[in-house]
Amino acid sequence: MKIESQQRRTLLKMLGAGCACCVCGSANARLLKYPLHATEIGSKTWAVHGESSHFNLENGGNIVNVGFVEVPDGVVVIDTGPSKRYGQALLALIEKTVPGKPILRVYNTHHHPDHCFGNQVFDPTLIAAPQGVIDNINEEGNAFADNMYRLVGDWMRGTAPVAPTVVLDAATEEVGGRQFSLFYLSGHTSADFVVRDDTTGILFSGDLAFLYRAPTTPHADIATWQAAIDSLGALDRDLILPGHGPSDSRGESLAQTSDYLAWLEDTLAGAVDSGLTMNEAMQLPIPDGFASLNVVREEFERSVVHLYPDLEDQLMPLIDVTR
Amino acid sequence: MIHSKRIRSTTSRYISRLLLAGFMLSATVASAVIHASTPADPFGSVMWKTMVDTYFTGGDVVFDQRVIVSAPKSAENQMHVPITVDATGLENVKQIVAVADLNPIQHILTVRPEQALSFIGFRLKLQQSSPIHVGVQTEDGTWHMGGALIDAAGGGCTAPAAAHSVSNWMKTLGETRALVRRDSKGDARMTIRMRHPMDTGLASGIPVFYMNKMVVKDDAGGVVAELDLFEPVSENPTITLKPSVGNESSVLKVSTRDTEGNEFAFPLSVPAVLAQ
Repeated sequence: MKIESQQRRTLLKMLGAGCACCVCGSANARLLKYPLHATEIGSKTWAVHGESSHFNLENGGNIVNVGFVEVPDGVVVIDTGPSKRYGQALLALIEKTVPGKPILRVYNTHHHPDHCFGNQVFDPTLIAAPQGVIDNINEEGNAFADNMYRLVGDWMRGTAPVAPTVVLDAATEEVGGRQFSLFYLSGHTSADFVVRDDTTGILFSGDLAFLYRAPTTPHADIATWQAAIDSLGALDRDLILPGHGPSDSRGESLAQTSDYLAWLEDTLAGAVDSGLTMNEAMQLPIPDGFASLNVVREEFERSVVHLYPDLEDQLMPLIDVTR
Repeated sequence: MIHSKRIRSTTSRYISRLLLAGFMLSATVASAVIHASTPADPFGSVMWKTMVDTYFTGGDVVFDQRVIVSAPKSAENQMHVPITVDATGLENVKQIVAVADLNPIQHILTVRPEQALSFIGFRLKLQQSSPIHVGVQTEDGTWHMGGALIDAAGGGCTAPAAAHSVSNWMKTLGETRALVRRDSKGDARMTIRMRHPMDTGLASGIPVFYMNKMVVKDDAGGVVAELDLFEPVSENPTITLKPSVGNESSVLKVSTRDTEGNEFAFPLSVPAVLAQ
């Protein structure tokens, strides 16, 4: 009886392994284990860097930067990653890096799924964001989840969007004996939230800043985004952890994001004015300065779809119509 | 009352039986033709045979590299999936027909470029990942085919138009933006963008209502291009054409009509080709 059941278990395991191999390609995907690594970017401050690619079945949506800070009485977490499974891996990494410290606060920088779909594993009474971020998660979270399951598959198992319960509107917040400055901006989305650790001067910019990775624009308002970058540029800071890409001590992420957005807007406005179709605009050359950004061609093509209709409504002349 | 209903239903049963017989007969004949001349579909569409039977009849069907269909690999927004068809390498084009095989309504549009290059840009609503087939029929009846495969999340045709989120959308119905430009070769290209919800009738509680006809004429009243538009064309149809109007400046006349009989007409100035 015992042997039989053991054999059956072995057989099931083999079948299971074989099945997973067929479906997924890489070693990580087979085990569905996020290879998270904490990089110390400042005093008692760690970044968990994601890949510089798109959501896919291999990376499980791990394309994002998450941060955490050890404060005197516990830990503050900035963004939670793309899935419940990522959230669990992040929790384990924090426990390994800062053993025995309670999590006191979790911030969400904005509502895009790679930044807040790990919320599920944290105590909801600790998750905080401005009202705009909360509204956006409530409004679009389910549609994002549908698309994420489609794009990264089984990595998402059990993931559901969870909105923050703590509404932020103050200029600063003290958490566990450390002061954080809070900035309420928009442009990448209708609500972008930026946190600065006032002790270390590290700025968690969310997706208002990208570095060596093309910015994404599905909810962007370029002019507002540029103004937000200007205001971040004027802040006292020692280091920026951008939403995507390496940490940045020289403000390069702000300059690069701003330059790219200016080029993007000019290029698409020119394309609309020349009467190019969206497909023709997608084939326009990308200048050398941006050609080395990760996934730039893909993001440029996506941006054409995001931005073209509004530019057409702004730039194409209105014609008198007889009815 | 009861009596007449019974008669009607008997009659309609009879008619439908007749129709069914006729359909079966024509299906048999059609499939015989298809097996003789239909090439395999490079996009592997399960609907390929049905598409040929329904939309690409009356001539041989061949896949032809001169039919260039540009489309994104993945639909970033399935309400607005951009397609550009360039068949300017083909002579004597009669009509261009575009279909989305796996849409609940497949026929996107037909354009007859009478005095225009065989070129069109448009956007469609895509209900799910689907092959797009574009047939360009030449005067000899042959369908020259091109196409694309587009990955999509789903929901384009059964989602309500954005217009329905504002209560006074009828006020801006038919509002038009347009421009005509000369490209580096001197060819004219016109882009028209008109406010219209293009309701498919498949979104809950919203009846079918779409712009179904567009005619572009030249100064002298000659037809430049004629378009039949169908439900899958995106809200606020945005159409790019290349009218063949010579090098001088001229005025095109565009008229459109929707399924409720609303008619919209406007002139469109074509600039002259700048002397080098």
